[in-house]
This record gives sequence, structure tokens and C-alpha cells, in this order.
Amino acid sequence: MQKKIYNLKRKANWIRNQVLEMIHKAGKGHIGGAFSCTDILVALYYGGILRFDPARKDWNERDRFILSKGHSSSVLYTILADLGYFSSSHILNYGQPGCMLGGHPDRNIPGVEIDSGSLGHGLGIGAGLALSAKMDKNNFMTVVLLGDGECCEGSVWEAGMFAARHKLNNLVAIIDRNGLCATDFTNNCVYLDPLEEKWSSFGWDAHTINGHSFEGIISALNDFRARKSNKPLAIIANTVKGKGVSFMEGSPNWHHSVPKGEQIEIARRELKWATNGSGGAK
Amino acid sequence: MGYKWQRGRKVKMSDIDVRDAFFDKVYALAQKDRNLLFLTDDMGAYSLDAFKKNLPDQFINVGVAEQNMISVAAGLALSGKKVFVYGIAPFITMRCYEQIKVDLCCMNLPVTVVSVGAGHTYGSDGPTHHATHDIAIMRALPEITILNPSDAVTTAAFAEMSYKSSGPCYVRIERGRLPQIYNEPDNDFSEGLKCLKSGSDLTIIATGEMVHQAFKVVKRLAEHSVDAGVIDFYRIKPVNENLLLNFLEQSKKIVTIEENSIIGGIGTIVSEILSDNNKPFPLKRLAVNDYHCYKYGDREWLNALSGLDEDSIVKSILDWI
Repeated sequence: MQKKIYNLKRKANWIRNQVLEMIHKAGKGHIGGAFSCTDILVALYYGGILRFDPARKDWNERDRFILSKGHSSSVLYTILADLGYFSSSHILNYGQPGCMLGGHPDRNIPGVEIDSGSLGHGLGIGAGLALSAKMDKNNFMTVVLLGDGECCEGSVWEAGMFAARHKLNNLVAIIDRNGLCATDFTNNCVYLDPLEEKWSSFGWDAHTINGHSFEGIISALNDFRARKSNKPLAIIANTVKGKGVSFMEGSPNWHHSVPKGEQIEIARRELKWATNGSGGAK
Repeated sequence: MGYKWQRGRKVKMSDIDVRDAFFDKVYALAQKDRNLLFLTDDMGAYSLDAFKKNLPDQFINVGVAEQNMISVAAGLALSGKKVFVYGIAPFITMRCYEQIKVDLCCMNLPVTVVSVGAGHTYGSDGPTHHATHDIAIMRALPEITILNPSDAVTTAAFAEMSYKSSGPCYVRIERGRLPQIYNEPDNDFSEGLKCLKSGSDLTIIATGEMVHQAFKVVKRLAEHSVDAGVIDFYRIKPVNENLLLNFLEQSKKIVTIEENSIIGGIGTIVSEILSDNNKPFPLKRLAVNDYHCYKYGDREWLNALSGLDEDSIVKSILDWI
């Protein structure tokens, strides 16, 4: 387990470095939210949670991962390329004219399940996928990653009520609770807390975890296919926006700012991998 | 004259509520295809009762939540389901417009949005329930097919056409009984529009219930020695431009009549086509005023406020020509 966690940390660090360079080169991208959910995506794809096969993109029994907070696409792209869904050369062209990888994911990209970018769509689509799986007696799981700012969208809660009504225990919502939306702290906009109780009251099983702890993420999800509950599962993952780079962490300025000049050097230095696993995972 | 077996009775198509014509067809298709799912935003119809009772696993009332209904439909369609979603026109188009754009159109999924309440159907319910902008906004979406049937035959046929479509459709159905225009079953609706009567002086283009209004107007115009034709513009998108232009060449004066706002409806579509094809034919657009109507009355009365009653249309045309 120790070795597995070490490898996951190292992978997450590598991905943050990739994302930093992608966004730096493109001169655009949403780095803060990408860094807050990097560990979650690494756990899902490399931690033995999701069932997938890059060689069979349309495999009907693959788990469906939906990046509802589509602006964190740079992390997903890096992972999909690393797993072999498409050539890594596309990563170098991120955001360039004529490239395959735009600012928000679309279904033309191998490994991407839905078009996302507009917030508040993913959970409803995920509910439809999960309901379809129930109808077809297919045991794939649908995992939807939402931003906490996204939870301001009423459609999220429409989908939440629908999923509970249909007992979609094959649906998981992970909320990247970094406490920030695009320009402000979420709690300055609306009263989001207590988020776990909100999901519980909507008929979901709900747990709060540390979204940067691989042990915590894996422990919350590793047996999700065999859950006995008939409720959908919400994981509130407490995270830090801009995780891994000191001047970005917890700052409302880093939703879609691009590090330049000295900032990029500091970010590179702080994200340099240390063999004790501390790089980018302070 | 067409007939249909409805709940054990042989009935004339003109005696069938057009909603029943649509939903009975969808029900028949659903009985043969368990992948056909019907979602409603808490709207019912007489003919949906059998569907709900006999195919409960294929009938889902999502509650008054149009945005979620469209997203759920997209998720189901991504898994290979054929989905119909049903609601009152302004709500199932405008409330969830962005879901229709992103979840259905961008991903080009086979989901059919079915609306009732075209134009002033919900007359005295006020502007919240009037659907006078739905054509304008829905036609702006690139992937969608828009169908507006004019009788029970076209309504039933469009249920099947949308079921067979590989992309998103918007079907704007009427309520109540309409005179039968088409005969079953030998009508081919793939051309997108039909010249129901040719006219040497002018051609009226209408869609939905307004096609019947056009026929009344044609009769009245004949009393004034004006020979007017009628085109049933039942497929609003994609438009069969070549066929339309062929018909229009024959009369060279055009009138559009629609229960949609003057902005963005079929009058706008026809003017765009004429302009794009360098055809400077005179065009008179008769449509709902550019306003939200806070006067309360039935459909016919509200249409008259916009000059869409028979007398006003005849007068507008005679004054114009």
C-alpha cells in the first residue's frame, strides 16, 4: 500500500508539472481548479477505482467518468494521453489553433464521455447513464466530478433529487470542495455549507474526505461497486485550489490566471519531485 | 379520408386529438422497442395514460425540472436509448435551452423534444405560457430538426420520423382536433414542405394550425379574384430551400402566416432564403406582435390582437397587393 501511495503521489506530481507547462505554453487554462482535483483524478484512474480499457474505448462495461467541471480538462487530457487514449503530441498542442484539445472536453476526444464546460450538466447526464445501466443490468459505475462553485447551479440539485428517487446507487458525485469559484470564495456567493448534510438530505449517502489524501480517496471509493446501500453516493472532497504551488493555494486569483516570469520559475521549483514524495504534495 | 384504430374503435383521423395521434404512435413504437423511453416534466395527456400504465419502466415523470430532464435524456441516449421528452412549449425550450444546445445538439443525440402549446394555445394563461419565440430560438441550433405538423396524419407521421432520427428533433404539436389535410398512408413527408394548392397571384406559407387559417383566407381571397396558393411548411429545419424556391418562382408574391413572433420565425426564414438566393420577391410577413401579451382571452382572440384572424389577414393581403 505504501508503495502504491508513493507511486500515486509521484504520478500526481508529474501531472501537475505537465499541466503547468501546458497552461504556460498555451497562455491559457484553468490551473487552480486543475490542481485541486489532480489527486482525485489520479486516484480514480491509477488507483484501481475506475474500470476502463484504452484499447476498447467503446467497451460497454467501462465505468463512465464525467468531468462536469470541464475547465479542469488539462488534468484529464494529461491522464488520457498517459494511459494511451491518444498521442502525447496532442498535449504539446493544447490550446493551439487547430488542436484536438480545447479548453473544455468534448466527446470527439478519445476517452472523454461527454461535452462539458458549461456547469450543472454533468450530474443529470450521469444520472441518465446510471439509470440506463440499471435498465440494462449493466454494472458499470458512473462517477461525476463537480466543482463546489458548480453546486450553485440549480440543475445539480434537480439531478440530485432525481438520482435519489431512482435509487441510483451506481452513481457517484465527487465534489471538489476547494472553497473557491471563479472570482470569489463560494461562501461569499451562496450558503453552500453544510455540504455533506445537504447531499444527505437529498437522499444520498454522503461522506467528507481529504481530497488530497490518496488513502482517503481510495478508502471512500474502492468498494463502490459492491455497496449495499440503494442510495447514490456523494463524496465531498475537501481540497485546496492551486494545490502544490504556494502563491496559488487558496487564492481567488488563480482560477484562470496563467503563471508568467518569476511565477513560473517558483511554480516549477515547488513542483520539483522530491524522493520523499513531498513535491507538489505539501 | 383516413381512419385509425384507437382503443378498439375505428375513428376518423380528423376526430382524433392530435396529441393522441402523436402519443398513440409513440406508445405503439415503445411496445415494440423497450429502448424507447418517454420523459415528462409532469405533463400528461389522455393518451399517455395507457403508456404509463402498461409500460411503467419506459415512462418517467422527472417532475417540474426541465433542465434535468434534458440532461437525463442525454445520458440515456448516450447509452443507446431513444428518448422523447415532453412539456409545454415555452418551458421545454426556453428554460432548458442551454441543455438542449450542449447536451443534445453539441453531442448530436437522438432525443426528441415534444412540445404542446404552440403560439397562443394556452391563451388566457398569459405570456408565461405563450410559445411565440420557440421557433426563433430552436432554429438557431445547428443539429436540430424542427417539425410542426398540421393535422393528425402528419402528427403521427412525425412521431415515427423523429423516432427514426439519428439526431435531436423538436416537434411542436397542437392540441385538439384539426381538419385532415393528408391521406394515409401514402404521403411522403421527407421533402420538408408541401404545396397544397398552387396560386397564380401569391403563395401563403404557413405551419401548424395556421395552415388551416391559410385555407380559409384563400377562399376569401378568391371572392376578390385573387388566386392564392398554400404551402404547408411542416419542416422548419432543415428547410428544403430548392423546393421552396421552385414553388415561389410560380407566384412571385409571398405571404407568411405564423403564430410565432415576427422576429425569427418562418417569415424570417423565408426572407433569409429570398435574400441569400437573390430573389427579390415581395414578401408580407404576418406574425405575432413583438410583445408579451398581457391581455387575456382565448387563442383565437389573442391571435386577432396580432392581426392573425381571418378578416385581418384577408385585409392585410388585399391592402398589400
